[in-house]
Amino acid sequence: MSNNYFNSLPLRVQLAELGKCRFMHISEFPDGVAALKGKKMVVIGCGAQGLNQGLNLRDSGLDVSYTLRQAAIDEQRQSWKSATENGFTVGTYEELIPTADVVLNLTPDKQHTSVVNAVMPLMKNGACLSYSHGFNIVEEGMKVRDDLTVIMVAPKCPGSEVRAEYVRGFGVPTLIAVHEDNDPNGEGLTLAKAYAFGTGGHKAGVLMSSFIAEVKSDLMGEQTILCGMLQTGSLLCYDKMIEEGVDAGYASKLIQFGWETVTEALKYGGVTNMLDRLSNPAKIKAFDLAEELKGIMRSLYNKHQDDIMTGNFSSTMMADWANDDKELLGWRADTAETPFEKMPAGDMEISEQEYFDNGILMIAMVKAGVELAFETMTAAGIIPDSAYYESLHETPLIANTIARKKLYEMNATISDTAEYGCYLFNHACVPLLADFMKGIKSDVIGRGLSVDDNGVDNARLIEVNAALRSHPVEEIGATLRGHMADMKKIV
Amino acid sequence: MTIRLDDFTVQFDQGFQLSHINWQIEPGQHWVITGTNGAGKSALSAVLAGAGDRLSGSIDNLPERVGVVSFEAQAELIAAELKKDDADILDVISEGTPVREIIFDDCANPETACDLIARFELDYLLDRAFRKLSTGESRKVILIRALASNPDLLVLDEVFEGLDAATLSMLEQYLPTLANRVTMVMVLNRFDQIPEFISHVAYVEHGELLHQVRRNDEKSYAELYQLLHLKTTHLDVPPIDPDTEIPQLDSQQPLVRLNGISIKYGDFTLLDKLDWCIEANQHWQLSGPNGSGKTALLSLITGDHPQCYVNDIVVFGYQRGNGESIWQIKQFIGYVSTALQWEYRVGTSLRNVIISGFYDSIGLYSKCTDKQRQIADQWLALLGMRGRSDQPFNKLSYGDQRLLLIARAMVKHPPLLILDEPCLGLDDMNRQLVLALIEKICAGSETSVIYVNHHPEDCIKGIDNYLALK
Ligand SMILES: NC(=O)c1ccc[n+]([C@@H]2O[C@H](COP(=O)([O-])OP(=O)(O)OC[C@H]3O[C@@H](n4cnc5c(N)ncnc54)[C@H](OP(=O)(O)O)[C@@H]3O)[C@@H](O)[C@H]2O)c1
Repeated sequence: MSNNYFNSLPLRVQLAELGKCRFMHISEFPDGVAALKGKKMVVIGCGAQGLNQGLNLRDSGLDVSYTLRQAAIDEQRQSWKSATENGFTVGTYEELIPTADVVLNLTPDKQHTSVVNAVMPLMKNGACLSYSHGFNIVEEGMKVRDDLTVIMVAPKCPGSEVRAEYVRGFGVPTLIAVHEDNDPNGEGLTLAKAYAFGTGGHKAGVLMSSFIAEVKSDLMGEQTILCGMLQTGSLLCYDKMIEEGVDAGYASKLIQFGWETVTEALKYGGVTNMLDRLSNPAKIKAFDLAEELKGIMRSLYNKHQDDIMTGNFSSTMMADWANDDKELLGWRADTAETPFEKMPAGDMEISEQEYFDNGILMIAMVKAGVELAFETMTAAGIIPDSAYYESLHETPLIANTIARKKLYEMNATISDTAEYGCYLFNHACVPLLADFMKGIKSDVIGRGLSVDDNGVDNARLIEVNAALRSHPVEEIGATLRGHMADMKKIV
Repeated sequence: MTIRLDDFTVQFDQGFQLSHINWQIEPGQHWVITGTNGAGKSALSAVLAGAGDRLSGSIDNLPERVGVVSFEAQAELIAAELKKDDADILDVISEGTPVREIIFDDCANPETACDLIARFELDYLLDRAFRKLSTGESRKVILIRALASNPDLLVLDEVFEGLDAATLSMLEQYLPTLANRVTMVMVLNRFDQIPEFISHVAYVEHGELLHQVRRNDEKSYAELYQLLHLKTTHLDVPPIDPDTEIPQLDSQQPLVRLNGISIKYGDFTLLDKLDWCIEANQHWQLSGPNGSGKTALLSLITGDHPQCYVNDIVVFGYQRGNGESIWQIKQFIGYVSTALQWEYRVGTSLRNVIISGFYDSIGLYSKCTDKQRQIADQWLALLGMRGRSDQPFNKLSYGDQRLLLIARAMVKHPPLLILDEPCLGLDDMNRQLVLALIEKICAGSETSVIYVNHHPEDCIKGIDNYLALK
């Protein structure tokens, strides 16, 4: 039976751990991968993170091999094919784990307990176990052997992105942490830094954080703004457009590619820039809608954060794990049957600006979701830097997946944990917004404001502009994007 | 009447040929013929005055009166004058034909001749012997003779060459006044000398008329300019950047040695036990049909193919798979391919694209130095894109993007430059632009080129090693 580690800690420590987060400058990585040079890194699992992190680490000059569960090797599953075709050594736990200096656990979170229990007895004395997400440690209270160092290196991006950015000569923002209970030789941080360097993360920015802050903020971001909000928004906006007589192919396309297009503006200049892309009347409209949405959804965001903090969320999900993922699989099937998901995008041209002009409600939803998630996380003690990465920063990355193959692709790319949280959010949010949606017309979704409402009140515009720019997510965003822009002029 | 050349092939002395020329000069048009030296520009213009022996095809509606000003015409006239001397059996030394006679005998329009003599201020030499004139002076005389012959067509071959500044500017003002009376065909090598009234430009290379561009087709006109620029200017490769200088290689060692390499995907074998050794200063052409593994083979060298870790590969002194990082390998390689161009969809400036070559990155993630900016601007000038450094890359034409990526690959003076089908997807003009640039790079000594291609017609001077995959 699992034991929530976070809940076992005294409040003082809980708060200290939640508040741990520091942006590391690239100059803090003068030793590169030296701490891992010549050491054997063995990756368990060759999926999205496993394969792509491994490719990067090897290209950085490190010794990487893969261990897979026996069945995957015997049946030559995709994971086995990925590893062998990429020229990696593949072996069983018994063959490779005892030789490993670092074991990278990159299996699905759901499997961590069984996987770690299987490999731990085989691990060398004094070796290092690493994760890319702290769920197992924080929510399940996994106890790791005392002589082992436990670290986390968590790229804040899907695996495909981890590789693509490395190949371009860059990297993705990465969060690193050391599990305080398991740092017997005090080398955890050094190893985590070298590992992050090997994946290219140091170029895009490394956040030194804690297992707890990573888990509590990661869960919050993914289930609310990142996946939940986009899923709910997609379904509601599509249904509204159909109700309003907008062409179904157009509606489908506006949403599928609209999220990607409007959130692209976030990368450059945050929420402010996204709204600055609108005409003045449309901007004020989006602002007002977002305020209204925030009022309605705040309680739901709070509930998600509370459930995450108390461990209620993870125990609910783990109950579903124990029940063969009945809920998850059911919800996944339901999503596939929604009208939005079933309607292919039309082949009409939609210009970049048109996605903004005709997607005012979508923009309002992104703004409301980003700000609420950020406000809720920081109110719960999570440091703004971390809250920024888990909300605003990742939104365009998830939006890209919807552009590829709608909600199916998004839910396939994110972890099962994120997917489960996303459906939870969606089920609560759709009914919550029912009344609000009754008042929505195609002027804010599908057709755009008519040209004759072009007048705006100066005082109101100034007020809106000031409010946009002074939101705390914009302040920290400007700083962090500034760090990035030092290196990444082009994003 | 429209002058028509249909599939016209014509032979000149010394065997030079103009081949399969298709060209029409309509009334009211004025053409410039341009091209590199020896391309056949002058020959093409001379054809309009009836020069050359027709081999096949046809040329129709040549006007009766064609005024020709060219070095050849000038030389002929002078030769004829000298011959008169030889022919003179008397001991008296002949004075030769005076300029007055050269100009006014058979002159259709003496009034124009007088006018021009005044404009050129040539009164003082009317009584001198033509053959005693300086080159510049005799040029003016020929010019007056041609202009005063009431021609229907004026052929002006490099007419601005060898004229003093005053005469040049006088002529530049005078020619436009003729434009609505007589069709003009000028041979010119410099775009900045093309007069306003010119309506079309023809580009000649190796005796073929390769491009015909309307003056007001801005895009093609600009490309033609670039092509000529690349073909005619000397390639002064901008210097290396001392801050990112790549380590010296042992010149005795091959750049690349692949020993019995294989690439396998599951049961499928793409390459089987292939050996390949590339020595410093060798240029290679790699060919083979689609799917024969050309790109995969190259990516073993660049380190982009994951199976480079399971093959016996030595690149730039590194035996692969011994803890070297991919960036240590990439620093020695410049690389251009269509795939790279697709990847490079970023909205960054032309300058930054070139600078990214110093860092082997797609996009620029490092602060760059003034020196690097300066080098990038020099490369842009070399490509005929001076002053466009801040323009966005993704707004460039496809062909210009390709050129820029080649410059990006060359900016660090890599020991090895890999060009994977660099002409793929380019139209004819851009293909020639790219080939012109590559030829210049091959002519330099410090970079070995691997050129991948399956079009035999795109062969490149200077490449003499071949590897063909099946
Ligand atoms: N996806 C993201 O965006 C993201 C971002 C940051 C961090 N992470 C974290 O990275 C970790 C890996 O996630 P992922 O998305 O890469 O997972 P994934 O794509 O689902 O891959 C999981 C791999 O583990 C293997 N596996 C599954 N069950 C196993 C078991 N019981 N025993 C041993 N191996 C098993 C699978 O191969 P076989 O089934 O063939 O054995 C597969 O290769 C997670 O902790 C996740 O939270 C993910």
